[in-house]
Amino acid sequence: MTVKGCEPFLQAYDIDVNNGDTILDALHKIKDVQDGTLSFRRSCRSAICGSCAVNINGAPKLACKTQILPEFEKHGRLTIEPLSNFPVIKDLVVDFDSFWEKVHKIEPYLTPKESSAKTKDKDGFWIIKKQDALKIDDVSNCIFCGSCYSACNTMAVDNQFIGPAALAKVWRFAGDVREGNNKKRLAKVSEDHGIWSCSRCVECTQVCPKDVKPLIAIEDTRAKAIKAGIKDNAGVRHVESMVDSVKRTGLLDEATMTVKTLGFMRSLGIIPLGLKMEFHGKMPLPNLFKSIKGIEEVKKIYEEVEKKGSRVKAGTHPKDGWGS
Amino acid sequence: MVSHDVLIIGAGLAGMRAAIEAARQGLNAAIVTKVHPVRSHSVAAQGGINAAIGENDSWDAHAFDTVKGSDYLGDQDAIEIMCKEAPKDILELDSMGAIFSRDEKGRIAQRPFGGAGFPRTCFAADRTGHALLHLLYEQVVKCGIGIYEEWFVLSIVIEDEKVCGIIAMDIRTGILHRLQAKAIILATGGYGRVYRNSTNALINTGDGMNLALDAGAPLMDMEFVQFHPTTLKTTGILVTEGARGEGAYLLNSIGQRFMSKYAPNALELASRDVVSRAEQQEIEEGRGIDGCVLLDLRHLGEEKIKERLPQIRSLAIDFEGIDPVKEPIPIKPGAHYSMGGIKTDLSGATKVKGLFAAGECACVSVHGANRLGGNSLLDTIVFGRRAGISASIYAKENNIKEFPDYQLKETAHSIAVITNRRQGERGSVIRDELANIMIKNVGVFRDKERLFAAKEKIKELKERYNHVYLEDKGDIFNTELLETIELKNLLTIAECIVLGAINRTESRGAHFRLDYPKRDDETWLKHTMFYKKDDEIKIDYKDVAITKHKPMERKY
Amino acid sequence: MKYAYYPGCASQTITKEYDSTTKKVCKILGIELLEMTDANCCGAGLITDYNYELSITLNARIFAIAEKMGLDIMTICSTCLMIMSRANKELKEFPKLLKKVNKTLEKAGLHYSGNVKVTHFLWTLSQDYGLDKLKAMVKKPLKDMKIAPYYGCHILRPSNALGFDDPEKPVSLERLIETLGGDAMPNEGKTRCCGFQIVLVTQETAVDMIGNRLKEAKDAGGKCMVSPCPLCHINLDSYQREAEKKTHQKFEMPVFHLSQIVGLALGMSIDELELGRHLVSPENAITTVVGD
Repeated sequence: MTVKGCEPFLQAYDIDVNNGDTILDALHKIKDVQDGTLSFRRSCRSAICGSCAVNINGAPKLACKTQILPEFEKHGRLTIEPLSNFPVIKDLVVDFDSFWEKVHKIEPYLTPKESSAKTKDKDGFWIIKKQDALKIDDVSNCIFCGSCYSACNTMAVDNQFIGPAALAKVWRFAGDVREGNNKKRLAKVSEDHGIWSCSRCVECTQVCPKDVKPLIAIEDTRAKAIKAGIKDNAGVRHVESMVDSVKRTGLLDEATMTVKTLGFMRSLGIIPLGLKMEFHGKMPLPNLFKSIKGIEEVKKIYEEVEKKGSRVKAGTHPKDGWGS
Repeated sequence: MVSHDVLIIGAGLAGMRAAIEAARQGLNAAIVTKVHPVRSHSVAAQGGINAAIGENDSWDAHAFDTVKGSDYLGDQDAIEIMCKEAPKDILELDSMGAIFSRDEKGRIAQRPFGGAGFPRTCFAADRTGHALLHLLYEQVVKCGIGIYEEWFVLSIVIEDEKVCGIIAMDIRTGILHRLQAKAIILATGGYGRVYRNSTNALINTGDGMNLALDAGAPLMDMEFVQFHPTTLKTTGILVTEGARGEGAYLLNSIGQRFMSKYAPNALELASRDVVSRAEQQEIEEGRGIDGCVLLDLRHLGEEKIKERLPQIRSLAIDFEGIDPVKEPIPIKPGAHYSMGGIKTDLSGATKVKGLFAAGECACVSVHGANRLGGNSLLDTIVFGRRAGISASIYAKENNIKEFPDYQLKETAHSIAVITNRRQGERGSVIRDELANIMIKNVGVFRDKERLFAAKEKIKELKERYNHVYLEDKGDIFNTELLETIELKNLLTIAECIVLGAINRTESRGAHFRLDYPKRDDETWLKHTMFYKKDDEIKIDYKDVAITKHKPMERKY
Repeated sequence: MKYAYYPGCASQTITKEYDSTTKKVCKILGIELLEMTDANCCGAGLITDYNYELSITLNARIFAIAEKMGLDIMTICSTCLMIMSRANKELKEFPKLLKKVNKTLEKAGLHYSGNVKVTHFLWTLSQDYGLDKLKAMVKKPLKDMKIAPYYGCHILRPSNALGFDDPEKPVSLERLIETLGGDAMPNEGKTRCCGFQIVLVTQETAVDMIGNRLKEAKDAGGKCMVSPCPLCHINLDSYQREAEKKTHQKFEMPVFHLSQIVGLALGMSIDELELGRHLVSPENAITTVVGD
């Protein structure tokens, strides 16, 4: 039991388990029979309210939809702990305050753009094409359970990072054809601790119990921010130098990328490291003249795709099956 | 002391819709809720929300279907309002940014639902409640409405027959707080946990109905409990009526679509009371499979199941180990919805001045003896909005009242009595016994003998409740204490259901008496009213509002 | 056993030693590598951040080349593995997408039919080559070498595009280490992130991640680490001094490339393994085994 001011510790319970019993069933059995002090959150017990996410053998999962026996068989033990990256209030109950603050910070509501006869029907209802609705289908499944926030690698070292759930929520609006406030929202999340702080560790997308795929939302949001011209940050410079490098040589040109991403002045700051790498033969030298043989093919691909200017959206297709 | 113009208790669809309305009126509104808003049970609604927005549909047809569905117990003036205002409310949700599923032309799609003569149910795949609850939460954030999150309301304080505020416990600290308010809106949802087999969230313990009873506002029609025909075998988790709306079949153990016997025209899409009884009869007559019948979606095809019913598919796979693309799902009826609740007028006002109610905890009554699928979400939105408006008007016309000191002491004392008990019985035992007797004796089929046995059992459990003790003596996040207070609420609700059911010697809608299988309009075309006096439940009756539709025999 | 070999950009420049030692090891084992010298960069996800269609089409070009060679692709970079696997999965699952991508490819004289598999050197060793066969090739078991396995992210997640190890409980590195005669030191950071993708963007955050990973390996009793990914290697090795400075601790944690620990057990010399190219010298960690 973790109480403010006490050192946290693990407590063991023995329970009888039936095939099909869930972690939430186990928690109830413990609370009802063995230990009334055990505290945890729960509500719908059908994986839609997001109350009961906990760490089960180290991975965040919904207690209500996780069966005990397969977990136990896989790990040979059953350790249930509060979510990571949240302060603990008591036992399995964690403090969601900063999680919600971050969700609120992205202005999580539609600011409708001006409508026209094309966008609304005669009764005033929005007209939304199916393929447009699909773009935000995955992110609209989010139940704010906090699993992604708990698993997030950036969050573990940067508690100001806005986090995958809030960023998925950004795409919920940024990807909505009705939204009229995109520029402002995208500019906001392009600031420090926003979209460009994600290290692409894929944990969020792996652990999400509702297949929201926050990483794809982050990638989509990044692309949209670049398209909207919000480019004055290291994240975009990093991307653009890659895009340029591949277009020019077919390969990644590490040296140019470093200089471009960090800016000339800042790249000087990594000179000590650079010198050391040079000594070991590791300092990447600008790749300006070397390119792959088939570079013309690569250039053709760039030309064709950029000519169309369109985006195929596989990431938000309900059947694309990316994620856990 | 902190004070608000309008305090809303509960943050489901009705509560948040009411709060948004109060904020729009320029008032200082705040929400008190025992769980974070998006954890509210509205989130679990699946199938959809009804509104006559189709080309050849009309609000009048919607109203008739609702009146018929209610087995003529619904108040027709209220039903007319709901059906007339529905399209505008859907339009508003759409403007706020709701993600309703679309048809080929990009317009809001509508699916057929039970008891409806027209495909009238707007939906967001099979997670409509989730879509709308998150939508309204977004709007609450946008309006900057204050939320007392994870605060549990212990009592509504009344002075001179008017509300003056509430006493609530901050669950995180265990500290009791007083909040003053000019008007209070109860929007606490249902009480499904009274029953063992229930689609309801574990938080649905009828708290608001008890607060109202204690404050002097009567409940109405509590004997009418809807049993949803399709709930999962082991967990009782809901499988939306939308599944049948999309074309799923109900089969018995010999592979018959048995609904043809019970509702030759509407078949699987008869109203819920009819379908649940048919299933129960099949099971009791030996044509069930392990206490269940089968819901077969296979002929819909994988693509349609994935597009229209993705959540149902996940739920069946995760909780029952069955992929509905490949196998039929074993299902059975389970407690789902409370037609009864806190009696309100058309504006959401209760008998107590300054006290309003909306949503499942309230009873206007638009659902009468049986609610149609797709009408509960509509009820929350229409009457949540209306309660928000009338509470705001009331708040503008009245001042903050003095908060009497003794109330806090009394409430604190009542908690201390529980926490100070050093021995006795664990509340969970009583809770389980209650849930078991209710499903066994006060379920789909009822009779005098079983009802009286339930009454006796509840009396016994109420007595035993006085000896419940807690293992958790701490202040911080003491969920054992919360569950114990909720248990008291469940006991009172169960008592109302049973008393109402004993008295009503007829069968109407969801209330079916094996010993009185016919509807009896002469004696029983009336609402049951429940009052609490000196800790006893007293019953009275009230006429039904009938405007256009004279009671007729109900056939599907 | 023959693969279209895709070393990835990093191993053609900064971590050249990973590429060359992989080639040497494969030669000893009899795994034939036909290098895809004309392949382009996979985009490392950065091109996805810019334009999804461009990213998937560039990856399709890689697959088209392999398909022409009639071979499956083997890479030694986890990020290339993940980016290519994800693109390949989408191209295979959505015929419409494949069609659209081919329309563009055809303008460049290429075509992809969706018949290429992408694998990683670690998977090749674990499954296609087989650990029993590998064990038989071991000349100098890595006896008493306490090696902390480090998977990182992109060889594990998203599991439905990769699907080799269970990201909650990966085992292939441990099994490989044990096959080579070493001690695999269980450490809780082995599936966490090294921060490579943001080291040029938010260096502070990345360096904190690096520090944590090194600390977890050290706390678990690891005397060295092994990484199947050149990008993780760059961070854990080249930025180790930065991490030490920022966290005020000394790690002295050498990080081996996957190919190097295999090569070591196969009896290759320190020079052959090009260990001198590491910033943190691994020689102390292996003195016990390379005696002669």
